[in-house]
Amino acid sequence: MTAETLTVGKPRNPVRASGLRHLITPAAILIALTALYAWVGTLELDSIEQRSLNAAVILAKTVEHLRMTVIATALVVIIAIPLGIVASRAKNRLVTPLILTAGNLGQAVPCIGLLVLATFVLGVGFQTALVGLVAYAVLPVLRNTMVGLQQIDPALIEAARGMGMTKGQILRRVELKLAVPTILAGLRTALVLTVGVATLGAFVAAGGLGELIINGLKLNRLPVTIVGGVLTACIAFFIDWLGGLAENLLKPRGM
Amino acid sequence: MTFSEYVVSRWDTLSLAAVEHALVVALAIAIATAVGVGVGLLTYERPKARGASLTVSAGILTIPSLALLTLLIPITGLGWGSTLIALTAYAFLPIIRNTVTGLSGVDAATVEAGRGMGMGAVRLLLRLRLPLAWPLILTGVRISAQMLIGIAAIAAYVDGPGLGSQIFEGLSRLGSVNSLNATLAGTLGIVIIAVLFDAFFSAVRHLTTPRGLRVRP
Repeated sequence: MTAETLTVGKPRNPVRASGLRHLITPAAILIALTALYAWVGTLELDSIEQRSLNAAVILAKTVEHLRMTVIATALVVIIAIPLGIVASRAKNRLVTPLILTAGNLGQAVPCIGLLVLATFVLGVGFQTALVGLVAYAVLPVLRNTMVGLQQIDPALIEAARGMGMTKGQILRRVELKLAVPTILAGLRTALVLTVGVATLGAFVAAGGLGELIINGLKLNRLPVTIVGGVLTACIAFFIDWLGGLAENLLKPRGM
Repeated sequence: MTFSEYVVSRWDTLSLAAVEHALVVALAIAIATAVGVGVGLLTYERPKARGASLTVSAGILTIPSLALLTLLIPITGLGWGSTLIALTAYAFLPIIRNTVTGLSGVDAATVEAGRGMGMGAVRLLLRLRLPLAWPLILTGVRISAQMLIGIAAIAAYVDGPGLGSQIFEGLSRLGSVNSLNATLAGTLGIVIIAVLFDAFFSAVRHLTTPRGLRVRP
């Protein structure tokens, strides 16, 4: 069990917030972006490159990318966390191994395959990408919610019951709070995954930074591809950094 | 053409793509395991080096796969080279993390007992620490393999080997006769490869776990 749960990302050790440590990632991102800007500035862009590499297009693609990521993650939270709670209840323990296996194998289902299959049902566009993204990110969050709730020391729940708490109170005031670090770790993994998979949204005409990557490849204009790739990577690192901050802030104080 | 007819008529292409898919993942996993376990062995007793290796490998995993694959094109070109490098890089985190966790999780009393029996540092590592950490290391390798099988599908876009080409073929001919069949064949083929890999690792785990560990619940 421990071996399996290690996999999705157990809550990372709380690096005690000596403020400076937290600034390394944003500083590195800033340096990368500045270097990218300076490098593109030195290039002589031809008319094809100019059409992709201007502030308006890049901003629009970034906004599309973030919108896709944020909406997909919100849907994942709404779907996966309640399901995880239901699956972790004692009377549903039979489904636990099923979900764990599905969670492991689900990683191997190629996200591009999911997206293209969704296209056959829904046609191309934003909604299709959303369906693919959600289907892909639901499993890690569901799994971590379930594992986080099940790992709680039964003695604590017994103690809560002894204090006269009802089942609902135990869930809200003991179980969910203790599971917060694991659930957040799963969410953080899912968010970073989603930023990456959202690049594939460009294949089904949902826009996003993947469009720059793909257009650059198709038109044989490497700078366009590189700008798309570096920007996506920077967003992923930034969101991971935000997730780390959130983990530190939202963790129940006693832990 | 029904799906089964499609699979039968394209069997040569599909089986070749499937073999290539499995091969590139197996190669990447082999390299990443050799390097990752090595890094784990070197760093598990040095907290700073351990933290650094975990941060770097986690950082790699944060880079979106389409971005990494395309950023490699100027360096290693299209095809096998870029695919293999990107896949190997993605495999490190689970392997290193589980190696480090496994090695440092060995009960201190057991190590002490080994030392009391006159084992030197090398024998302690080879005959005691590694066998005890092995199941966890193997789990790390297994997780990496599952992840790579999925990522390898995207590699087809940079002309890499494998079943991803079927999916992209389906996408590029969206709406034509065999596009759904091609996409399904690619996706299901990849899932089958994943199941086979998982079964393989289950068998390896069963065969190579020290007997003393298997008895415990």
